[in-house]
Amino acid sequence: MSHQHDDPIDALLQKQFKGSVPDDGFSERLMQRLPPRRHRVAWPLWVGLLAGAGACWLSLLAMPLLHLGWSDLMGGELSASAITLLLAIAGVSLLTCWWTITEADDR
Amino acid sequence: MCVADSVVEARIDRALVARALLDGDRRAFEQLLRRHQGMVRAQLRRLLHGDHAMADDLAQEAFLLAWRKLDQFRGEARFSTWLYRITYSCFLQACRKKPWPSGHIDDDAVDQLPALPDAVDLQLDLERAMQRLSTAEQTVLLHCVQLGLSQEETAYVLVMPLGTVKTHATRGKAKLKTWLAPWRETADEERTS
Repeated sequence: MSHQHDDPIDALLQKQFKGSVPDDGFSERLMQRLPPRRHRVAWPLWVGLLAGAGACWLSLLAMPLLHLGWSDLMGGELSASAITLLLAIAGVSLLTCWWTITEADDR
Repeated sequence: MCVADSVVEARIDRALVARALLDGDRRAFEQLLRRHQGMVRAQLRRLLHGDHAMADDLAQEAFLLAWRKLDQFRGEARFSTWLYRITYSCFLQACRKKPWPSGHIDDDAVDQLPALPDAVDLQLDLERAMQRLSTAEQTVLLHCVQLGLSQEETAYVLVMPLGTVKTHATRGKAKLKTWLAPWRETADEERTS
């Protein structure tokens, strides 16, 4: 359908629409009901992150794989434990990216 | 409204949102409310087929939600579009709680209506023809044509794929054109005689 054909229908529909509704005290009534703004506090997030990182560190501390992988990486040796460590870091990074993108889309 | 005006309006809205967020400035939000309440209530009145009381209740709910979620407005869409989206979501939630009459009337009822001869009657026929459209077609035409949103903005407000919005708009207009064709023929005849 061409725009030329659509125009009379658009014009009719716009004419039929009554447009903006006058305020008539609506805004005033709503402002009286408006609650105070709650500011989002950031500390629970940071406490959670630190607690999670601490718990993760404590549970991995006893594992030889982590120490081995780290020393191999530092020594420039690409051993199985070093590759496992790299894959774990890459996996966590990807998960974080995916979570961030999903959160951004939801907003 | 021309494009330049629309850009200026969007800029004013963004500035007001920033002020409202900065210190919870209620006066800035009040200005946003006064600027947009008319169109939001008009949107709801159309969606609710003229139930003014319910439309105002839902409009209040939508603005209170907008106030709570204001920090989630990032300026990717116009503020008015973001507000229409919140309003439409409130409307859908209300429909889920209490199913609303769609305003859809059957073909036989419309066919039995007498043909009426002047401009006022054309408006009445248009109203009836609109009610013959599917709910999705009515909603898309309301946002695309009557509220003046682009098809992309309509897709954002209705959380609908752009292709679906285009299809509903084209089909809805084609149906209206067919049903209102006798009016056009009469007008053409009057012009030639």
